Amino acid sequence: MDRDAQKRIVEALVLGAPEPVSAAKLAEVVPGLEADEAAALVTELGREYEEQGRAFEIWEVAGGYQLRTRPEYASYLRLLHRERPLRLSRAALETLAVVAYRQPVTRAEVEAVRGVEVDAVIRSLLERQLVRVAGHREVPGRPMLYATTKRFLEVFGLGELEDLPTLREMEQLLPPALPETAAPPPPLGASADPADAADEPGAEPAPELH
Amino acid sequence: MNETFPTAAEARLGGGVAANACAIKLQVFEGPLDLLLHLIRSNEVDVTDLPIAEIARQYGEYVSLMHELDLDVAGEYLLMAATLAWIKSRMLLPPSAESEDSELDPRAELVARLLEYQRFKEVAEQLGDRTLEGRDVFAAQAPGAEPSPDEERPLAVSLVALLDAFRRVLEKAGAKGRHEVTGELVSVRERMRVVMDMLGRFESIEFERIFELELGRPLTRPLLIATFLGVLELVRLAAVRVYQGLDEAGVPRGTIRLRRAEGPSADDWSAAVAEVT
Repeated sequence: MDRDAQKRIVEALVLGAPEPVSAAKLAEVVPGLEADEAAALVTELGREYEEQGRAFEIWEVAGGYQLRTRPEYASYLRLLHRERPLRLSRAALETLAVVAYRQPVTRAEVEAVRGVEVDAVIRSLLERQLVRVAGHREVPGRPMLYATTKRFLEVFGLGELEDLPTLREMEQLLPPALPETAAPPPPLGASADPADAADEPGAEPAPELH
Repeated sequence: MNETFPTAAEARLGGGVAANACAIKLQVFEGPLDLLLHLIRSNEVDVTDLPIAEIARQYGEYVSLMHELDLDVAGEYLLMAATLAWIKSRMLLPPSAESEDSELDPRAELVARLLEYQRFKEVAEQLGDRTLEGRDVFAAQAPGAEPSPDEERPLAVSLVALLDAFRRVLEKAGAKGRHEVTGELVSVRERMRVVMDMLGRFESIEFERIFELELGRPLTRPLLIATFLGVLELVRLAAVRVYQGLDEAGVPRGTIRLRRAEGPSADDWSAAVAEVT
């Protein structure tokens, strides 16, 4: 089968798949096509759409490829999808952020970070399939653990969880000029006094204060 | 009425705006930590060296304002007010040499929480600014036309949908069920047999049809409820699987269908049914 025919089949598959379709899946379906070649064909298709000024483009999300309308047509598509628009409140986004970076995480842990109750928000995220129950923590009460879903990756246009924006380090949030510089680490082999560690305030990594 | 809120907090909320405008503005805070971060930012103070007395005062003003506006002040706000008061009192105490944690700044834990919250608040904003599927871009997705057993989802996910569907069944049967006086005995076990019989005859059945297929028997509420409980029990026994098609957004939607589960659990269902009490 010639390359052009393969490309058209790939196009049909990406269009007709009910969810993002991976290069491996394309290779499995299209005769004589390797996964890396499938990825190359997808890239070519994307370039064709760009050159032809099509209203859609190919996205790589949740480990696969998906055809999506271009953002400039959003207002029209929103009119079309008026009955159930995607609306994510700040509460929903903050809760999702904690779940995404801390997963698997309990409700109490999310509440500790946000300082508010999150019961209703988590229920709504579960309903929208952005969050799932990922078992129980084996502590008294066996609280449920929550994690993000594949749907979460799709909605936020992420290939995988590692594509999440980096969470800033605590140190970066502190004012730039700290009066004290961090003590240099003790040289290897130096006897570290365990009593020092025990004196550390609390179990949580509290930022340094001056 | 614009002049009825002379507090400093009100002034910061935008001066002489109407009370309900304040209410709307207040609601933008996602809780006490968010409110505190706002106060820190608007006072341009260093988060690690909080002027706790001043921040506590302004925080208190906001909370009283919320009360004045008859807003339902969540307990979290009051808890934080108490925490601030506690820290403030601790700051007034002279550092005591005997106290074990005399080195520890009483604000430390709060500062750590604020910074932690700020990190997540930032990424939450970044997430919201992304190009979202379903809001900014829309996927071309073929609907999963006839869901195959491979796409079956665990019941837990769609229990809400199942209950909704059952409520529709009850509503439809409403008039017939309401004035039922004769005490008809319906057993869940018997209903389970009926459902399994139906599923033996059809590959899959729409959930709502389960309640209609039996001819010549009035659809009473006890009968419907027993049937529903029977379905749940069969799912628990893994004799039946309940699933739902996916809409274009990949969310289960539309008709809920029942299918006889494959494997030994389905063959053993009658034994299992017999054990149901």
